[in-house]
Amino acid sequence: MTEFFRGKVAFTAKVIFLAFTSAILLMLAQSAFARGEYFIAAFLLLAVIALNIVYLTKISLPLKFFLPGLLFLLAFVIGPILYTFVMSTYKYQTGNMYSKEFAIERITQLGVEPDASETTFDLIKGKLDSGEYAILASDIVTKRYFISTKSKKIELSPLDVKLNSDQVAVSTAGFTELATEEKPIADKALSSQRFFYSGEYFLTLEGGIGAVKRQVLEYKAGKDAFLQLVTGDVYIDNGRGNYVNAKNKDLFLEPGWRAPIWFENYSKLFLDDKVRGALLKVFLWTVIFAGSTVLTTFAFGLLLALALNRPIFGRRVYRSILILPYAMPSIMSILIWGGMFDTEFGAINNLLGTQIAWFQDPNFARAAVILVNLWLGFPYFYLVSSGALQAIPVELMEAAAIDGANPRQIFRKITLPLLLKILFPLLIASFAFNFNNFNLIYLLTGGGPKDTLSGEIAGATDILISYTYKIAFGSSTQDLALASAISVIIFVIIAAISLYGIKRSKVLESFV
Amino acid sequence: MISWLRRDLWRHIVALGMMAFSLFPLYLVVISSLNPSGSLQLTSFVPREISFRNYKILFSDPTIPYLAWMKNSLIIATAIAILSVIIGASSAFAFSRLRFKGKKQGIQLLLLVQMFPAILAISAVYAIMERVTHFAPAIGLQTKPGLILIYLGGAMGVNIWLLKGFVDSIPIELDEAAKVDGASPMQTYWLIFIPLATPVLAVVALLSFIGTFNEFILARLFLIEMDTRTVAVGLQQFIGGQYSQNWGPFAAGSIIASVPIVAIFLSLQKYIVNGLTAGSVKG
Repeated sequence: MTEFFRGKVAFTAKVIFLAFTSAILLMLAQSAFARGEYFIAAFLLLAVIALNIVYLTKISLPLKFFLPGLLFLLAFVIGPILYTFVMSTYKYQTGNMYSKEFAIERITQLGVEPDASETTFDLIKGKLDSGEYAILASDIVTKRYFISTKSKKIELSPLDVKLNSDQVAVSTAGFTELATEEKPIADKALSSQRFFYSGEYFLTLEGGIGAVKRQVLEYKAGKDAFLQLVTGDVYIDNGRGNYVNAKNKDLFLEPGWRAPIWFENYSKLFLDDKVRGALLKVFLWTVIFAGSTVLTTFAFGLLLALALNRPIFGRRVYRSILILPYAMPSIMSILIWGGMFDTEFGAINNLLGTQIAWFQDPNFARAAVILVNLWLGFPYFYLVSSGALQAIPVELMEAAAIDGANPRQIFRKITLPLLLKILFPLLIASFAFNFNNFNLIYLLTGGGPKDTLSGEIAGATDILISYTYKIAFGSSTQDLALASAISVIIFVIIAAISLYGIKRSKVLESFV
Repeated sequence: MISWLRRDLWRHIVALGMMAFSLFPLYLVVISSLNPSGSLQLTSFVPREISFRNYKILFSDPTIPYLAWMKNSLIIATAIAILSVIIGASSAFAFSRLRFKGKKQGIQLLLLVQMFPAILAISAVYAIMERVTHFAPAIGLQTKPGLILIYLGGAMGVNIWLLKGFVDSIPIELDEAAKVDGASPMQTYWLIFIPLATPVLAVVALLSFIGTFNEFILARLFLIEMDTRTVAVGLQQFIGGQYSQNWGPFAAGSIIASVPIVAIFLSLQKYIVNGLTAGSVKG
């Protein structure tokens, strides 16, 4: 066995595995580089170098153990955390999603206008004998036919072409229509290709027909500006991810690009009335929600732990049933509760004999959210409180009883304070967890009901994290940058809360 | 008798009350799944007629690819369970047993990193994966490998931390004895540590299985096509706020999906309860 780990077999296996991993990573790095993703390419390249150095030399033994974990952490945890921060300093939203190069390309592509009579042609996509893409265009009214490629146009006489029943030319000598299997690849290339028409005018493909267009927006690389060739207007980079009209800064070209705007997203959070109001409301509810969840789940969990702290009849049965809500996959439980709160047919209204529209009214929705979270969370505190109760020395209570304290006094003066001391870090952790309890809110109420008057994104039960998600992915304007800025703030809050909890528990450890 | 009443009666009342609260939704979903009408509306809380129609719909209706969803969930969760333990265990071993420069800072960083819920960086993860999709579509958005990478990486901090906690509890004496006998750290790891830690590793693997099975939002964002969804996303989209229409099959589907998880959980109860005090284990 020992030989195996020192022998040639192990070494060969290691080298093969390493070579294989390196090859894959290098291939990825190369294609990332080819697509201009230099950061990702550099990371992959460094990962390959690090892997080879660590596993082929004796430079560091611990690294052999944790390098793979470290690389994963860097790529998928630390990387995204840093990237979140970077994103939060950019303008990065619908309309400003891509790189500047891409935006310039798109603006150029879109910056065309049709000729005066908006001429269009029916067309067939195909290739010339040389293999060059070409179109066979027909004007069925004037009986005009021609072949056009990127650089030239060949007029054809009606006698040279074969027409179909609609009088559209379908074939001619030297031109082959695209086969069905060629189309998916060709369509991509053809969609942005321009076919020669006459002078400054060219043909572009628009939903199966060819339209005559000319370029009106031209990019001047030297000045980093767009020139409107017809009106003479100049569009300049406004430094915020858009080309704007030099005379009227409110007119801008679509699309824009991701541009650094530094701390504007953050100042928006605190200074922009529209954002600030919603954010403050959501923040308050987040704290109330997390706080009342911790309180209710802890209270009920503790009550149960106290009740079952004696070996009463049926305790084992009670116990295994009571932790069922905790054992269930929470997503399923939340969806089931969602059905139970249905206004018309739900079991809750059925049971109570009411017709409450639970998720239409802010207060009922909030109550429902807390109730469901109580169901999901009390077994946790029942389990940990039971454990903690065992840890409290019986002598303390006995001593108090001898001194004449009644059970209630013992609980209030001895058990509870000790319990709180032991469970404090877990209460904090629970608060931090519920602060970000996205699934519950998103699956139960979807953050709603929305305030119909303000029409904002935030709903009455939205917590920060679900609000952030909605800003990033949920509404018609996806603002990844603003969402990232809020994420960064949540990072800071959660880290502060958790570190405080850990510090307290450390103090406790050294104390006990 | 009177003293028994005074001493224990309230305990039974509390326990029974909370038990009713716990069981109510579960009971409801079970009888809904057996209710032939499949509707959310129950005419009574006691079933009058029992049928497996809802279960049959689940496995025969082509518009609900339930089996594909279950398969996806199982594949992804199993892959995560195995890979995260393989990668995590060696890191945990290093942080728990080896001495090296910067270990203390490393542990502090790990502690900090594992506190951040993966969901907070979701827009960044999405933006990064969107870029990845451009040059490597096979591991980008809308692919299982992409999602597995994200899960694996995103949970790496928590996993190493959790494993380190468990590893710390394995007596160090055996390692030291091996060291005295001239074993290299690699040998200690493979020949002493791994056999000793196997039960613990199995527990952590099962816990990450549960965690992955239960994950919703990344799966929702990543797997959009009907057949590629996980069971959590599939059922959520299926019920999609329209509780009254699809309730019966949904109830059946959620029961089938929950049974294995509940079984794993109950069998690991002891370990999970121990783990609870060390830090939160399950969401």
